[in-house]
Amino acid sequence: MISIKGLSFSWPKQKAILKINELEIKKGESIFLQGPSGSGKSTLLSLLAGINQPSSGTIKILNTNLSELSAGKRDKFRAEHIGYVFQMFNLLPYLSVIENVTLACEFSKKRKVKALQKSKTVIDEAKRLLDHLEIPEHLFDQSILNLSIGQQQRVASARALIGSPELLIADEPTSALDQASREAFIKLLFKECKSAGTTLLFVSHDETLKPLFERYVCLKTLNEAC
Amino acid sequence: MNMFTLAQKSLLNRKSTVLLTLLTIAVSVMLLLGVERIRTQAKASFANTISGTDLIVGARTGSTNLLLYSVFRIGHATHNVSWQSYENIKKHRAVKWAIPLSLGDSHKGFPVLGTTADYFKHYQFGKKQHLTFAQGHAFEKQFDIVLGAAIAKKLGYRLNDEIVVSHGAGNTSFHHHDEHPFTVVGILKPTGTPLDKTLHLPLSAIDTIHNTGHHAHHSHEHDSDLIGEPKQITAFLLGLKSRIAVLTLQRSINTDAKLTKNEALLAIIPGLTLRQLWEMLSMVEQVLLVISGFVVVSGLLGMLTSLLTSLNQRRRELAILRSLGARPWQIAMLLVSESVLLTATGCIIGIGLLYAVQLATAAQLQELSGLQLSLTWLTQHEMLLIAGVLLSGLLVGLIPAWRAYKYSLSDGMSIRV
Repeated sequence: MISIKGLSFSWPKQKAILKINELEIKKGESIFLQGPSGSGKSTLLSLLAGINQPSSGTIKILNTNLSELSAGKRDKFRAEHIGYVFQMFNLLPYLSVIENVTLACEFSKKRKVKALQKSKTVIDEAKRLLDHLEIPEHLFDQSILNLSIGQQQRVASARALIGSPELLIADEPTSALDQASREAFIKLLFKECKSAGTTLLFVSHDETLKPLFERYVCLKTLNEAC
Repeated sequence: MNMFTLAQKSLLNRKSTVLLTLLTIAVSVMLLLGVERIRTQAKASFANTISGTDLIVGARTGSTNLLLYSVFRIGHATHNVSWQSYENIKKHRAVKWAIPLSLGDSHKGFPVLGTTADYFKHYQFGKKQHLTFAQGHAFEKQFDIVLGAAIAKKLGYRLNDEIVVSHGAGNTSFHHHDEHPFTVVGILKPTGTPLDKTLHLPLSAIDTIHNTGHHAHHSHEHDSDLIGEPKQITAFLLGLKSRIAVLTLQRSINTDAKLTKNEALLAIIPGLTLRQLWEMLSMVEQVLLVISGFVVVSGLLGMLTSLLTSLNQRRRELAILRSLGARPWQIAMLLVSESVLLTATGCIIGIGLLYAVQLATAAQLQELSGLQLSLTWLTQHEMLLIAGVLLSGLLVGLIPAWRAYKYSLSDGMSIRV
């Protein structure tokens, strides 16, 4: 799924902030990538998402070498194969809950087609996912401002999952949630990733979440520049 | 949902600032179109003040000055024309008709014109339109008076009302010709020219009212005739049998001492002098255009300000779109779409406002300036102006678009607020 070899990244004229010799992630795994701030988390994520380019080494996702793609192709690759959940404020304030979820299909035909394989319409698929993620139906057409933070994160997950992308990257998605809803959220995420066959890369500094995951990677030890 | 609908929803989400921006653009578009409308229609109505008259003759002065006092009732003649010269020129074989004009008196600030009944027959304005009566008829007796449309309306005069005319122009004339009340026998239809503000009375009466006292008694005895020749008149209008003779006769009047009995006279071709006068005013015209152009620019700058201010708060939104796979150029498109939407909506509201204001103020505008703005659909020229505004809106939109493009490249998906 993800294959990183001899990767290093530095901003122009600065020393490397990220050096990873090797990291392999298999399809369908759920990985907990743990690291305190400053361990190169956001740099690694921007490289995986194809926003930035490694200074040396290769990142392959689904056997595609991201460095070989143009900037536009990398944007398209991200739209088609990667779902992304931020720490918080994931949703566009001027769109309804449903519109926020279906937005992901606007930038990728492939994900739209995949969504339509599961439900009659993209909207139906969004409703199905929202339902699975335990968003009450009466909120579907409402403004996202009426949602709690936990609900917002679940809507963001529905958006990241619609059209079954191969990889879901969640960047500290639970840091704004309390302990109880944290575990509930992660369990829901697991369930949906499993049923969609999506690989989950879960990034957080919070070590207490470690026991929930199949595999644990400590970025601080992995990153030789740290 | 493409970038355009996204832009629409994003704008709707920022209602209060968007409304203010829309209002700024709408008002500036309304002003631009309004000024343009007034400018073009003023030009048209200016050129339409007099037509069908081949030459205007007065004492030697500047040609615009002669036009101003004889047609626009602005300023006054420094010298008069002798009745003798008028008679001589009238007899010229090229002349079809001649109308004497005697100015200098006023009634409640409105100019009084002494002339003959021929005036109502030959005077033309606009596209060779003759004067027509809304009520009554031309003067027939010495103390008959015919009113312009605006005066009758403003001062509330009706047929058979009696009016006193004072000597000298201006509202505060001390010397009133109380001895000679005139009777309103006719009210003209509106022409949209200074004629609407003029009181017309027989030439013979003008001379009589200036000779107060014993002449007053005298004139009442001749109440029913219009005989009597003044020694002097202010100017006269000429209609020729053939337009070919215009230049020749103009030269003769201006130079031929025999024809004018050594009196220094000036003949002007009204259309030509009108054009010269308008060219003098074209500076004002240009300034007006430039000002309304700047009004639009300031409207668009207002839009730019609000877009740029909001952009900083929207960097998160851009990052979300980037994470979903939006390309930087799509994000730039979002911003351009927003400014195009704002400008287009602003234009539509502005056009609506223009018609609303025009409807609401048509009456006052006509009364104040004699300008009749017709409620026509947008002219091609106005369409071009609107297209220009839209294009400028699009160009202005490129600035926040460029900034958003840079943000989305530099921020990527990391959110900086």
